[in-house]
Amino acid sequence: MTTRRFIVEPRGLASNRLKLLVPLGSIFAALVVSGIFLLLTGENPFAVYGQMVDASFGSSRSVAETLISATPLILTGVAAAIAFKMQVWNIGGEGQFLMGAVFAAGVAIWLGDGTPAAIILPAVILAGGVGGAFWASVSAVPRVYLGTNEIITTLMLNFIAINFVNFLIFGSNSPWRDPEASAFPSGRPIPESARLAEFFQRLDVGIFIAILLTIVAWYLMSKTRWGFAVRIVGDSTTTARYAGIGVSRKILGVFLLSGAYAGFAGGLFVSGPVGALDPRSLILGLGFTGIIVAALARLNLIAVIPVAILLGALNNSGPALQSIGVPTATVTMLQGAILLFAVAGEFFIANRIRRPDKVDDLAADAGVTA
Amino acid sequence: MKIRKWRAAAVLFLALALVGAACSSDDDSGGSDGETLKVAFVHVGPVADKGWSWAHDQGAQFLKEQLGDAVEITTLENIAEGSDSQRVFEDLASEGNKLIFGTSFGYMDPMLAAAENFPDVAFMHATGYKTSENMGNYFGAAEEARYLSGMAAGEATETNLIGYVAAFPIPEVLRGINAFTLGAREVNPNAQVQVVWTSTWFDPPKESTAAESLLDAGADVIAMHQDSAAPGQAAEAAGAKWVGYNTDMTEFAPTAWLTAATWDWGPLYLKTAKDVIDGTWTAESIYGNMAVGMVKLAPFGESVDTETRTLIGKRQGEILDGEFSVLPDPIVDQDGNSRELGNIFEMDYFVEGVIGSSDG
Repeated sequence: MTTRRFIVEPRGLASNRLKLLVPLGSIFAALVVSGIFLLLTGENPFAVYGQMVDASFGSSRSVAETLISATPLILTGVAAAIAFKMQVWNIGGEGQFLMGAVFAAGVAIWLGDGTPAAIILPAVILAGGVGGAFWASVSAVPRVYLGTNEIITTLMLNFIAINFVNFLIFGSNSPWRDPEASAFPSGRPIPESARLAEFFQRLDVGIFIAILLTIVAWYLMSKTRWGFAVRIVGDSTTTARYAGIGVSRKILGVFLLSGAYAGFAGGLFVSGPVGALDPRSLILGLGFTGIIVAALARLNLIAVIPVAILLGALNNSGPALQSIGVPTATVTMLQGAILLFAVAGEFFIANRIRRPDKVDDLAADAGVTA
Repeated sequence: MKIRKWRAAAVLFLALALVGAACSSDDDSGGSDGETLKVAFVHVGPVADKGWSWAHDQGAQFLKEQLGDAVEITTLENIAEGSDSQRVFEDLASEGNKLIFGTSFGYMDPMLAAAENFPDVAFMHATGYKTSENMGNYFGAAEEARYLSGMAAGEATETNLIGYVAAFPIPEVLRGINAFTLGAREVNPNAQVQVVWTSTWFDPPKESTAAESLLDAGADVIAMHQDSAAPGQAAEAAGAKWVGYNTDMTEFAPTAWLTAATWDWGPLYLKTAKDVIDGTWTAESIYGNMAVGMVKLAPFGESVDTETRTLIGKRQGEILDGEFSVLPDPIVDQDGNSRELGNIFEMDYFVEGVIGSSDG
C-alpha cells in the first residue's frame, strides 16, 4: 500500500484573491520556464521579454497595432464564450467569422459607392452578424432538432467556409473579386463610406464597436430574463425543462448569437483594416484563436477584452522577436508556452492540492469510506 | 463578482506589461548609426524551405558577404501576406531599417501603404506590379528557364502526361506554365501538361497531395510552381521524374530530378544596397532574365541524356543571345485558336497542350 503524497480535489468556490494570484503565477512561471529555455538557446531572456513588450506597447503606433489585432479576437472570444457557457460546443468561429466577412463585403459592394456612411456602415456590420448566424444555423438547426454533434459539424464548416472564400476570389469571377486586377486575384475594395474611420494611427473605431457589442452580450446574458433562462439551461437541461423553459429554442438562440458575434468580427475586420474580402488578410485563424481567448477569460465576457488585447500583443510581438535574431521556432514555442501555462493555471483554480490528513486519507487509501 | 474578475484580468495584464517594460529599459537596440545600412528581408515561408525564400536568403547572404559591416541584415520569415503585414513593414521601418525587401506577391498593397507612411525608407517588392516614389519592384523571366526545363520534361515523359503543381492563377504562374508547356511540346508534340492549383505558395503536405493526385491521373513527370520540395519527394516515391523550381533541389529526389528554373538574387540585392548607401537609389521596376544571370537553369539530373542536354544547351544559347523568344506572338491558346500574345504581365490564359482552368 502506497501512501499518497498529495491529494487533488475539486475546490468549491475559489476566492477572488486566488483567481488573481493563479493567473499571475502562471504567467510568471511561463516566463521563468521560457527564460531558462531562452538561456539554453543562447538568448537573453530579459532582452527578449523587453522586445515583446516594446513591440506591442512600446510606442503609440504599437499600441494601436495591438488593439487592431485585438479587435476581431474580442468578438470571436465572446462568440466562443457565449456558446461554451451554455455547453454548446461551437468551434466554428473561424467559418462564422469568414461568412460574416463574405456577407459584410457583399452588402458593402451591393450598396455601392455613394451610399451614405450612416446607412452603409450599420448595414455592413449587421450583415456580418447575419452571415455568422447563418453559418452557425447550418450546425445549430440539426443539433437542436436532430441531435447531431455540433463539434463535428461546426469544425467541418470552417473548412468549407475557407474554401468558399478562396473560391470567391481565386476560383470565380464573383462580385467579391476585384475586376480591376482580374489577372491578379484579390478582393474588390469596398466603398470608402463603408470603411470604419481611423482615429489613432491605423486604429479604427472598430475597437469601440467590439467593446460595445461585448457589453451588450454581457448584459443580455447576465441581466435579462432570457439570459437567466439560458444560464439555467446551461447548468442543467433537466432543471430548465422542469421550470418550463423551452430548451431547444434557447440552445438555438445561443448558437445563433454566438455565430453572429463571430460574424460581427468578420464584418468589422472587413470594414476596418482589410477593406475587401481578401483571403490572405482574413484567413489567419482568428476564429480559432477566439476559443483560446474564451478559455483564458474563463468564459467571462468582460474578461475577454483584456485577454484579447494580451493575445493581440503576443501575436504582434512575433516578428519583432525575429528582428532581434530569435528564431521563428523559438518565438512560436514562447507564445505557446505562455498560453499553455495560462490555461494550465485554470486547474489550480478549479482544484485544490494538499497534503493528506492523517486519519481520513489513510482510511481512504485503505478503501474505507470516511 | 463580475467586476472583480475583470479587475483581476486587468491587473494581470498591467503587471505583465510592467515586468516587460522594466526589462526593456536597458535595451538600446534600433536606430541606425549612419555608417551601417540596416537592410530587412520579409519572407512568406521559412528560409529553410530550400526553395523560394531560401533563394532570396542566399541573395541576402551574398549581400552580407560582399559588404560586410557596411550592412546589418534582419530576416523575418513566416510572415503572412495580407493587410496584417503592413504592421510588420512599419515595425521594421521604425526599427531603423532603410532598405526593406518583401519577397512575396501578397505584400504588395500593405507595402505600398507602409511606404507612404515611411517616405525616407527604400522598399523593394518582388513579383508585384505596383510602385511608388519609394517602392520599387523586381522580378525575372523565369519563363526562359521554365521553357528549357519543359524540354527536359517533354523528353522524359513516356505517358505524355506531365503534372504541374501550381500555387495561384496569377500571370507569373501562368507565364511559367505556358513557357514550360511550349518547351515540352517542342521536343514532344504529344505531351500535355495537367495543372492542379493548391492556393498556397508553401504547404508541403498540400503540395505533396496535389502531386500524388497528378501521378494517380497518369502523369510520369511532375513540375511545380511551389516553394517546397514536397512534389519532388512524391515523384521520387512513385518512380516518376521531377522538374523543380527556385534552387537546385537534387538532394531531395536524386533519381527523379531532371532540372529546374532557379533564381540568383544576390547581384540585384548588392546593387540595390550600394545604390541606397550612395544615395542614388530610385524606385523602378526591374525585370531580370537569363542573360543578366538573375534566372538560371539548375544542373541536370543523371537521367537526362547527352542528346537532350545538347538540344537544351543550344536553345539556351539562343535565349541568352536574344535570338529566341520563349513566348511567341501570335500564340496558340488552350482551345487551339491563334491569338495575340498580349502583355505577358497580365497573362490570363493557357496555351495549347495545357489541361486545366486558368481561372484556378
